[in-house]
Amino acid sequence: MISWTARAGLVGLSIVVIVTAAAHFIAPHDPARQFPDLAFAPPMLPRVLDDAGHLHRPFIYPIRLVDRLEHRFVEDRSARVTLEWLTSGRLVTTPEGSSPWLLLGADALGRDVFARMLRGAQMSLGVSVVAAALALTLGALLGALAGFVGGKWDAALMRLADFVVVLPIIYVVIVLRATMPLVLSASQVFWTMTVVLGVAGWPFPARGVRAVIALERKKEYAEAAHAMGAGWFRILLRHLLPAAQGFLAVQATLLLPMFILAEATLSYVGFGFAEPTPSWGVMLHEAAEAGVLSEAPWLLAPAAGIVISVLCLQLVSGGSTPVGQRDGVTP
Amino acid sequence: MRSGFRRYLFRRVGFALLLIFAVSSASLLLARLAPSDDVFAVDRVILAAERHRLGLDKPLLEQYLDWLGRTLRFDFGESLRFRRPVAELIRERAGRTALLGFSALALATLVGIPLGVFTGSRPSGLLTSTVRLASIVVLSMPSLVTSLVLLLLAARTGWFPAGGLPTISDGTGTLHSIFIVGRYLFLPALALALPMAAALERLQSRAIRESLTEPCIVAALARGVPRQRVIWRHAFRLGLKTVLAIYGIMIGTALGGSFVVEIVMAWRGLGDLMYQALQSRDLYLVAGCAAAGSCGLAFGILLSDVALAAIDPRVEDVV
Amino acid sequence: MAGKLPKSLAVIAIVLAIGLATYFARRAAKIGPATAPSSGTAAATTPVRGGELLASLRAEPVTHNRYVDYSAPGEVLALLTHATLVRVDRTTDTLEPWLAESWTESPDHLAYTLKLRQGVLFSDGTPFTSADVLFSFRALYDPRIKSPLATDTLVNGKPLHIEAPDPATVIVRLPSLFAPGLRLVDGVPILPRHRLERALTEGTFNDAWSATTPVTEIAGLGPFVLVEHKSGERLVVARNPHYWRKDAAGVALPYLDKLTVVFASQASEALKLQAGEIDLMTNADIRSDDYAAFKRAADQGRVRLIDGGLGLDPNLLWFNLTAVHAKEPASRLFQQKAFRQAVSCVVDRQAIVNTVYLGAAVPIYGPVTPANRTWFADVRPACEHDPIRARELLTAAGLADRNGDGILEDASGKTARFSILTQAESIRARVVAVLQEQLRQAGIAVDIVPLDQGALFARFAKGDFDAIYYGIQSSAIDPALSPGFWLSSGDYHFWNRNQKAPATDWERRIDDLMRQQAETFNVEERRRLFTEVQRIFVEEMPAIYFVTPKVTLAVSARVVNPQPAPQIPQLLWSADSLATRR
Repeated sequence: MISWTARAGLVGLSIVVIVTAAAHFIAPHDPARQFPDLAFAPPMLPRVLDDAGHLHRPFIYPIRLVDRLEHRFVEDRSARVTLEWLTSGRLVTTPEGSSPWLLLGADALGRDVFARMLRGAQMSLGVSVVAAALALTLGALLGALAGFVGGKWDAALMRLADFVVVLPIIYVVIVLRATMPLVLSASQVFWTMTVVLGVAGWPFPARGVRAVIALERKKEYAEAAHAMGAGWFRILLRHLLPAAQGFLAVQATLLLPMFILAEATLSYVGFGFAEPTPSWGVMLHEAAEAGVLSEAPWLLAPAAGIVISVLCLQLVSGGSTPVGQRDGVTP
Repeated sequence: MRSGFRRYLFRRVGFALLLIFAVSSASLLLARLAPSDDVFAVDRVILAAERHRLGLDKPLLEQYLDWLGRTLRFDFGESLRFRRPVAELIRERAGRTALLGFSALALATLVGIPLGVFTGSRPSGLLTSTVRLASIVVLSMPSLVTSLVLLLLAARTGWFPAGGLPTISDGTGTLHSIFIVGRYLFLPALALALPMAAALERLQSRAIRESLTEPCIVAALARGVPRQRVIWRHAFRLGLKTVLAIYGIMIGTALGGSFVVEIVMAWRGLGDLMYQALQSRDLYLVAGCAAAGSCGLAFGILLSDVALAAIDPRVEDVV
Repeated sequence: MAGKLPKSLAVIAIVLAIGLATYFARRAAKIGPATAPSSGTAAATTPVRGGELLASLRAEPVTHNRYVDYSAPGEVLALLTHATLVRVDRTTDTLEPWLAESWTESPDHLAYTLKLRQGVLFSDGTPFTSADVLFSFRALYDPRIKSPLATDTLVNGKPLHIEAPDPATVIVRLPSLFAPGLRLVDGVPILPRHRLERALTEGTFNDAWSATTPVTEIAGLGPFVLVEHKSGERLVVARNPHYWRKDAAGVALPYLDKLTVVFASQASEALKLQAGEIDLMTNADIRSDDYAAFKRAADQGRVRLIDGGLGLDPNLLWFNLTAVHAKEPASRLFQQKAFRQAVSCVVDRQAIVNTVYLGAAVPIYGPVTPANRTWFADVRPACEHDPIRARELLTAAGLADRNGDGILEDASGKTARFSILTQAESIRARVVAVLQEQLRQAGIAVDIVPLDQGALFARFAKGDFDAIYYGIQSSAIDPALSPGFWLSSGDYHFWNRNQKAPATDWERRIDDLMRQQAETFNVEERRRLFTEVQRIFVEEMPAIYFVTPKVTLAVSARVVNPQPAPQIPQLLWSADSLATRR
């Protein structure tokens, strides 16, 4: 019986996944589009009631610039821009040539923050998911090998894993990343970060898998399979590893938040994605120029994205703290 | 038990030393691997001569052994970027990071443990659920997010300075200086402390809840011992165990989190220094920072391991 | 039985409650117009002696030896602690006597005889004589030192010749005719012979006055003396008791007792100034993003905003026009003049002004901005933001959209694509982002490569780039003092440096014109020649200029008598006349 918190987490996660996958469809505008005269425009909320109290199809009031240097805008209540649904390949948008719908306002260059956040989700979450898959695969293989073979290799591998696990992951990741050329194209950055995160993350699942395998290996069914002539590798793959499935699933929910955060931090300090790629870390970096932060707090929207994703993962994993335990087995 | 404890101690110290050695060496070698674009161009001063003087253009093995030898004599080399001895730079910065880390740990303990006792000892109610929810949400807020939110708060209210280091002019009284430093320290420490406090709260809460079902506790309550006294005396011991068990990790988290907090809030400590060193491929500085960081980490873990062993002798059998 | 609230939890709750209450109370108090302080914005307070100011600086000087450390912080330190023979008054762009109280020019314009001020002492009490001048220039031009300052103190590549016939006279001989004349030595601080002669003879001059030298060894003729340099934190200068200058009323300068310079990043120094923790920034101009916050601080009386005119040294987008790079595919695009003109024509400069500078900038088309009143000529290219004409130019360059994907291709099918390197996380990066979008709409694909300054400089030095968007600041207004930029043989001739012979006709023409105008002494004739140079530049467009900012300087309300100059450091260049409100 899954607790209601875990269920809530699953629902949240599904929403996040769907929204991320359908980013191009859900975003009202192209994330790269710079709307002139709308730099630092505040969020525009959709309405159904106008000033006179009449009901309309959902619409927005366009925003006009009043003072550029002081970022002052005013709503133009005389005009109504009705939202258009399911046109031009998007869920909802505004007619071309009229005011854009900036649900979460605009950034320094007049780009739609909401659209960028959705596109950024694809980048940030994408990297994290692929990296987690890589870390799990690598960790499972190495851990299984260690648990299987035992002896010196087992001890050496686990020593190494112990060392890496103890270190703050952000340092490991940043040093690894720094060994690569700093300037890369967006897709190169994507794969570089995936590899770096995956390599930094393998010890976490490895230790647990190793323990499981070492235990299972001694069990009767494994011996029986061997007696019947099955090769060890086949036994490993078909009989022993599945025993670690549950553990790996839990590990995924622990690795993902770590990686989402690592990507955000890396991009924030400039070692990850760079302008104009709208990864969440990059967007937070723009927001952090503190002079702007108090003027345009909506630029912190990606932070909400991070918190929601991590929160859902936490709820699903049953509230295990990301702080973790040092033996890595008990979640 | 004594000899067992001593053996355990030796093993842990050995682990600590090995950790420091491995981390610093790895950092030096990895940083050396980085493609050197000569990314840091000192203003028209002949860069090559500088690199030669600092021994940065030797072949890998020779450089590593040379560095190793010098480190054992406590000579950590000179920073290419800052033109100062690495040891001096690190001493300056490490103090700030330590201050940040300790304040955060203290704050986290002061807030997290009592809250945990509170939520663990009461039956589920609105307040308990609120605190629990708050903890989980705070745990989902990485230090990057927390720092940014606090920065926004600072910028909006002007109560606390929005990051940076305190500037203390000469002639300020000690009390006044402490106050100034406190103002600048509060937000970064808070940013670092919040997730740790939440983690402590969760752990302590669960520990209390579990202990309340233990037979000796139930018996004590049945005997009529005041519930408050039972909770607090037991909570104290439990708190110690909880805290010590994860302090080693908390130090790791503090170090990792402080990296982000230092950069976002411009609290120029060790993490910020390492970041700059990595950016400019300042090899000796990278290795020095890694050594200092892992020293702190190893020391913290050692302390918590030893304290834990002192309380719970069963731990000694685990390597 | 519900347990009582643990005591510590109660304490925390009470503290939080008080905190929240005060926060809301404060917020309520902030609503409504801020009361303006009684003292207005008038700077008409007479400066008085005494007081201290706190300034910020973005980087720290690596050594204390200006001849070796040619960085911006090194320049600031030299302006504070040293003096030159003559000085250019940056607010009026006129040459004024400094250490030399008067001079005469020889009829053939090749020698200047300077009469040195009498009774001047170094900060350690040693008398200043012409021997110090002789020594300084000897050190400057010494080949062992390879001083970068020396490279900028040459006439046609040859050094000046200094003679010191008696302790109070110095003769400066120029190797060839040079119109700016003595302006050339405006940047050369006079160093004390008694402190540095030994280092020069022993060959250790480059290490003299390094960061680890005790400050008591350093002496100068400037308004302040270095008393402390805490690396990573700050440096402190105090009044030079022997400073020779007095103000119009006879009061001995400098007004300030002490000036503390803390090292802070660009982001934090703006915040510190707004909060009143520092009094001024060395780069005193504020970013357009910060304007709103500074305006608020000014309304509350903490800060004063000063109009600094237009920016003198705009950023530029230059292409790699070297022969070596010509083999690169992208080079085939911008080697063509028509392409470069088309790029300039496509760009909507007003949009850059509005989006990036929030309106606080003006469009420009060449290297000289209206801030340079003496030398600016309003030369425009044939095409200003004209998409149709731009399309014609692009077609003339052989580009058209052959496959309907929105991006242009050349005859062989290669896409019109090139990369621009720029400084990461800066206003330059934002301008390039806007450029990228505008060019994309015209069918040209641009890749942005953000780098930190060190990496940028390294790639530039290696010639490993397609185009770079960056800018340098130079203190010189007179173009003859920037031969490194204008001459094809120059080190700052960004698009094709250090040419042995001019690679193109137009560069040869500019070389000739610049040489002519440097040797002409008639100001009108010089301006005519230089206007022609600007016209050729705008026509050939090896580099494209877009905008120059409207500069606003910010200082705290405590600063009295600032003398804002167009060049950085806008206020500290004349630190001896800065005073503070008591």
